[in-house]
Amino acid sequence: MSQQRLEKCERFLQALPHARKLQLKTISAEEGRVTMELPVQAQLQGPAANTYLHGGVLTTLVDTACSGAVICMLDPYELSPTLDLRIDHMTTACADKPLFVDAECYRKSRNVLFTRATVYQDSPEQPIAYAIATFMRLGAEITDKAFRNMVEGEA
Amino acid sequence: MSQQILDIVAQVHASGDYQPLIDVIPYAGVIGLEIERFGDEMVFRLPANPENIGNPTLPAIHGGVLASFMELSAVFQLITALPQPRLPKIIDFSVDYMRAGQLRDTFAMCKVERQGRRVANCSIKCWQGKRSEPIASSRAHFLFDDGE
Repeated sequence: MSQQRLEKCERFLQALPHARKLQLKTISAEEGRVTMELPVQAQLQGPAANTYLHGGVLTTLVDTACSGAVICMLDPYELSPTLDLRIDHMTTACADKPLFVDAECYRKSRNVLFTRATVYQDSPEQPIAYAIATFMRLGAEITDKAFRNMVEGEA
Repeated sequence: MSQQILDIVAQVHASGDYQPLIDVIPYAGVIGLEIERFGDEMVFRLPANPENIGNPTLPAIHGGVLASFMELSAVFQLITALPQPRLPKIIDFSVDYMRAGQLRDTFAMCKVERQGRRVANCSIKCWQGKRSEPIASSRAHFLFDDGE
């Protein structure tokens, strides 16, 4: 089951041009939970400092991982746009180590999905950032059929 | 913070040409942020780029890309607003998404709501067609920590 969820998340990532651009990977997936990785990459390493110099790429990572947690919560897949997202940066990330994010969808209601995430590099006990995000459920019938089948692996 | 970064911040603060700073922030180049100045006003532009898509069905720009675009807008706006060149460090960032960001040019403007000695509060609005119909709105706190 967790293998199926992991493959579902990977198909989702592969369908997102920006997730491909950042080479995002799913490390593990279970019901309502996912761990993703942003690998070390030349395009995010600057000449002047071993940091990202700005928190933006962490926000992209968190938004994507929380969407992944939502995918691991909804069966069948529903398109769920982000309603809002908040991220607190507790320390600075190094650009020469991969970034990991544990994301969890902790509540599913009829219309809204509530998620939270922790970003870390060395261990989850040394968090770099915490985030919460909410997503809107659009319903399985509104979701583009071809895209849903692709995420579900039925294409 | 490295001396090279501080030198670049001082340089762009004096000249008003932000390209050298954009060039050393890798993710700014990845998403493709541009700055336009109209007198003292700054409008930030994110040109339409298929690599920024996060929802291929609409298609729509990735929410994280929009958030990063707004965060960067605030960083540049703050550097301009400060009497002395300093590099703001993000503390927290909160974004509300109002409409899907379509695959077209996106714009942002930032307002520094409060500039304290160590912390600044900014609000950022992001739009595509009409400024009165924002696609996203956000607020952020930045820290000025010259000790590092």
